[in-house]
Amino acid sequence: MKTTKKYWKGLAQLHDDPIVEKLAQNEFVEELPVDEFLGDKENLSSTSSSRRDFLKFLGFSTAAATLAACETPIVKSIPYLVKPDEIIPGVANYYASTIYDGRDYASVLVKTREGRPIKIENNGTCSNSRVQASVLSLYDSARLKHPLKSNEESNWRTVDYEIKEKLSKIKDGKIALLTSTILSPTIKQLIEDFGDKYSNVEHIMMDSTPYDGILDANLESFGSRLAPSYCFDKSDVIVSFGADFLANWMANEYATDYVNGRNPKNGKMSKHYQLETNLSLSGANADKRIQIKPSEQGYLISSLLDGLRGEKFDSRLSSIVRALSSSKGKSIVISNSNDKNIQLIVNAINNELNNYTNTILVDKPTNLKQGNTSQVDNLLSDMKEGKVSALITYNVNPSYSYNKAKEFNVALKNVALKISTSSYNDETASLMDYVCPDSHNLESWGDASPKHGTYSFMQPTISPLFDTRQFQETLLSWTDRSDYLSFLKNFWIAKGIDWNTTLHDGYFNLEDKKLRLKSFIDRSKSIKNSSSTELELELYETIALGDGYQANNPWLQELPDPLTRACWDNYLTISAHTAKEFGLENWNVSNGALNGSLVDIEADGISLKNVPVLISPGQAKSTVGMAIGYGRTKAGKAGDGIGFNAYPFTGKKSISIKKVEGEYEFASIQLHHTMMGRDIVKETTLSDYIKDPSSGNHRETYATYKGKLTADKVTLYEAHDLEIGHFWNLSIDLTSCIGCGECVISCQAENNIPVVGKEEMRKSRDMHWMRIDRYFSSDMTEELSAKEKISMIDMFSEMEEPSENPEVVFQPIMCMHCNHAPCETVCPVAATTHSNEGLNQMTYNRCVGTRYCANNCPYKVRRFNWFQYSDNDKFDFNMNDDYGKMVLNPDVVVRSRGVIEKCSMCIQKIQELKLNAKKSGQPIKDKDAQTVCASSCSTNAIVFGDSNNKDSEVWRLRNDERAYDLLDHLNVRPSVFYQTKIRNKA
Amino acid sequence: MMIPFINNRLPLIIVFVFIFFSTAFSQDAPVVVDSAAVLKGEQIFKANCTSCHVMGDKKLIGPGLLGVTDRRTKEWLKKWINSSSDFIASGDADAIAIYEEYNKVAMPSYYFEDADYEAVYAYLKNPPVKVEVLDTGDLLAAEDEGIKTSTQLMFIGLFLLLLVYLLTSLKNKLKASLKQETETISETLFNQFNLFISNNRNVVFVVVASFIVVVKFSFDTLSGVGVYTKYQPEQPIAFSHKVHAGENGVDCNYCHTSARKSKHSGIPSANVCMNCHTYINEGTITGTTEISKIYEAVGFDPDSKTYIEGYEQQPIKWVRIHNLPDLSYFNHSQHVVAGKVECQTCHGPIEEMDVVYQHAELTMGWCIDCHRTTEVAMEGNEYYTELHAQLKEKYKGQKITVDKIGGIECGKCHY
Repeated sequence: MKTTKKYWKGLAQLHDDPIVEKLAQNEFVEELPVDEFLGDKENLSSTSSSRRDFLKFLGFSTAAATLAACETPIVKSIPYLVKPDEIIPGVANYYASTIYDGRDYASVLVKTREGRPIKIENNGTCSNSRVQASVLSLYDSARLKHPLKSNEESNWRTVDYEIKEKLSKIKDGKIALLTSTILSPTIKQLIEDFGDKYSNVEHIMMDSTPYDGILDANLESFGSRLAPSYCFDKSDVIVSFGADFLANWMANEYATDYVNGRNPKNGKMSKHYQLETNLSLSGANADKRIQIKPSEQGYLISSLLDGLRGEKFDSRLSSIVRALSSSKGKSIVISNSNDKNIQLIVNAINNELNNYTNTILVDKPTNLKQGNTSQVDNLLSDMKEGKVSALITYNVNPSYSYNKAKEFNVALKNVALKISTSSYNDETASLMDYVCPDSHNLESWGDASPKHGTYSFMQPTISPLFDTRQFQETLLSWTDRSDYLSFLKNFWIAKGIDWNTTLHDGYFNLEDKKLRLKSFIDRSKSIKNSSSTELELELYETIALGDGYQANNPWLQELPDPLTRACWDNYLTISAHTAKEFGLENWNVSNGALNGSLVDIEADGISLKNVPVLISPGQAKSTVGMAIGYGRTKAGKAGDGIGFNAYPFTGKKSISIKKVEGEYEFASIQLHHTMMGRDIVKETTLSDYIKDPSSGNHRETYATYKGKLTADKVTLYEAHDLEIGHFWNLSIDLTSCIGCGECVISCQAENNIPVVGKEEMRKSRDMHWMRIDRYFSSDMTEELSAKEKISMIDMFSEMEEPSENPEVVFQPIMCMHCNHAPCETVCPVAATTHSNEGLNQMTYNRCVGTRYCANNCPYKVRRFNWFQYSDNDKFDFNMNDDYGKMVLNPDVVVRSRGVIEKCSMCIQKIQELKLNAKKSGQPIKDKDAQTVCASSCSTNAIVFGDSNNKDSEVWRLRNDERAYDLLDHLNVRPSVFYQTKIRNKA
Repeated sequence: MMIPFINNRLPLIIVFVFIFFSTAFSQDAPVVVDSAAVLKGEQIFKANCTSCHVMGDKKLIGPGLLGVTDRRTKEWLKKWINSSSDFIASGDADAIAIYEEYNKVAMPSYYFEDADYEAVYAYLKNPPVKVEVLDTGDLLAAEDEGIKTSTQLMFIGLFLLLLVYLLTSLKNKLKASLKQETETISETLFNQFNLFISNNRNVVFVVVASFIVVVKFSFDTLSGVGVYTKYQPEQPIAFSHKVHAGENGVDCNYCHTSARKSKHSGIPSANVCMNCHTYINEGTITGTTEISKIYEAVGFDPDSKTYIEGYEQQPIKWVRIHNLPDLSYFNHSQHVVAGKVECQTCHGPIEEMDVVYQHAELTMGWCIDCHRTTEVAMEGNEYYTELHAQLKEKYKGQKITVDKIGGIECGKCHY
């Protein structure tokens, strides 16, 4: 398979752009700018320093440095006056808690060191990169440091007194409480109490991406406004119309189940069809992806229902209809449409397929989306009419994320009392009379019910850094009470909850009142085909920024998009075909960086100027996509002015674009780290795998005097003795990896990886220790051409032609820890050496920065510190900020300028694990060994362990038929290996 | 010339030598209280009484007991110790007075055997006069060592001087017999030096030798840059490890609790100091001055034995002595618990230091040397069971030192 299938990383590679070859030859694209300085005669002659001066400076600085080095610095050590019992300096504590910011929910374990939260670990639920990165948002110095009154610093006493005074005087007008979806039962209780104290209180919830379609449809179908739970692990056929359920759709909890239902070892994988406009993460993982325009979705869903009922249907759906009909009760059909009727048809389909109570649980709904857009719209008209006397916002930013933000901002002027409880002086808060800043999740007590009957507690892991107060305390104080902790405790103890046990575990189940549901009623109306030729826009959320709440988090801004591989930006994604129509282009400049054309976009009077265009394989023809969450204006220094705000386009389907002059510079690492077109990704299909588990994983043999042997049997070198002690291995399953990038952020948090900014990313000077390479592949194969009698020339041109709808593979790459490491042999100062446990060690204090190792690394995983990224105003991110630096892991060195760094396989964790085992006199248990990429992987694609322990999972995986070494013909004997990608293709 | 020299200098030298020797014998003989009963009594007293009483005038929880045998009779004391509450109830006026004086708290009862009571009484009657008896012994020993070396050097010097004198006088005698001009010692030395440098080979030898000495000296000096052995900064509180760990035998882990659990040995927080110093208000060396600094930090009133309400506590800023660079990872618990290394191996005779100094070099070479020679403490540790068997197989008969399990790999300390 590998010889016949062509993979490419970008369109430039396909088109044999010379830059690709250049990149393949040179690890570091740019030359040193010596000529720039020395070549400039004018510059040189204008300097007043003579050679003698230079020597004087040199001599003086050498002498000064020597003198300075002679002085013994006096280091003070200040112990606690009264040491808290639970803190042992140097030993981490873990607390079970919950992260919920109005968008993403996860039950987490928070690692703290000396009272500082420094890392988020999963606590049995699926999380994502934003949850992982939320620990950095805690230390965001852009957060409000005190309450505000008319944008001026104030204090809680004044603010509370005045607000209570004003609230109690309100008689006629409404007091509107505009919040995100509330998961906390105690907040709901507090809001009720608030309503009892003051008159005319109305509580309205809104979601940044509205889900009214589903909620309202279920209200009609089942008599309750809810969003059901989906059991992706129990379903054999998954059909998703545009719903990116692996990344951002609805609740961030489906990936684990999805992957559990796709384990080829069971001889069975779910079959995943994705019909979508933009190439989403779910589409990239789908077995079959069909490109549709957003306007076609309703018709196709309606047609699917017809097909299932045995009527005439759209021919594109034939395989789907066949698959669904044969797995009744074991399938899921979902759609991202916010149209009630479309969702009613989806409900009818799922009912037709007998999915309710089997794979879709209406009686155990998810609570993550409860927003009601019509109520928000009503609020807006009430505000316009002056019926609203007070507005209190919590966890929402309507001035930014509401599609009628402009009208909202104008209408705000009619509201007498405007209060925000935002942690930031954001777009909405800055228009308010009072801002009562909410504390971060990690500073707060709380509770949450992400699902009917499932609860989790939030506990503080640090005292509030600033003079902030959590929303619950604020509500208590406005109802003349205080002490939320007692309130929370009493609330749950009254329900018979064992406080200490559940707080320790973090989550618990409670038999909730059964929902009163009506039996299913089908109220759907069929939809006719009304395809248009207009250009249509589909908005999406990126895996990094989501709805833009954490836009000021530089880790997230710098996380490359899994599909476009661009960061620090949003842009218009467009298919190559449509781009050609409009004369739009993407091209690579001499240093390999990507540039693109600009367009103005316009829809119903809303317009954006100079939006860059990124040509994205997989985008449906005559459509464009754009990410929300960007274009913040009051997020903070990292998030302000990054990209464009696409929220105003919510609900606008057809748009027009016009090419304008100019070009845009992307920070896309698409072309970086090319692997010289070698055989990198191995894949096969499920049916082949069942016949032969090692299919797609055949290894080259080489002729030797002993006959034909695989590369690993031929070696000149003496091998390291890895039989004794531990042999740390990492297995990466390409079938399970969905490319979400959670591990990248997790690694960044654990290993003190700096943020380098857009300019440096563009120069391919990214510092991430692990990257997730994305390979597109073409459907054309030699076998196919032989079968369909396609000529050789046609076959190759077909292979090279950018597929409009490519297959996608994600491949996480970090240091492979080769046991015959090419980097080790070329280091002139022995800064990179091998351990007897199979690790390739990097010693920063020995490194002199020759970069020979990076040049000799076949996987291009070594990173060079071009600058000092900490305490440097040129890199004004978290490491140049006294608060931001608190997130640093004290067990890992902060690297300085001029040294190479790379994945250490979390050696600090390995050492800690071994030490604890030695101290307790116990052998190491397999599950205890974890790197952070492995422990944070929600889909369990990354497995870490000791291959010398024959009971370990990683040993089993090493000996699996699917296991293969990346570039195994090099025989570098990596400690990291991959499992072939298996697709459930017919 | 020569005879006056000897005449002038010799008595001086002799006096010098005498002074040196005399210091060795000039110490007073220690005061020895050689009663077995007193010693036994002291043990019992320390085990039972010191938490409330001091052998002095000061009150602790109970009164100071210096001279108590003069104030009370032996029988009175016995009754009081056996059961003070019964004694008070019996209506003894002195007993009631003490009861009233100490806030109506009776002393807990102690039932001693007669022999034990006799011993305690003997101790109370013969309290230790000088506590620092042991100290002088130590000093003596340390001084002895120094004197031995200097005496040896002096003898060698004297011997050489004598030799020069003898040889010169011999030479003069010979010259005199040959009717040549005699020389003084300095003239002899000068002539000999001239003779020595007249030979090129000698000059070359001296140049090469001094070059080697200079290189060796520079190398040693330069490799000592950043090595702070004997670094002994002044601390904000003159805390004496000798008093605590040495004389009072406080276990290292009592204060440095985290040495067994963490990478840091941990400087004890002030509340650990207060565990003892709530009651011990006076030190043996510095009296109350240093201990009162702890009280100042935490806001404690030693007279009323209470913490001051609303006091703004001040942290104690100790000066860190052992400074490893950030680039190297060191873990105390690894060495103390897993490696079973004694604190003194790296920190030196800490229990003898009044002011702590850095004992070891703390250079990488020093670490590695130890890792190359120290055997891994594998016995009885299940973590090592399998590994130990494999290693025994691999290194037949050799010691399994730390480097054999990867203890000198870069990544073990640098990450």
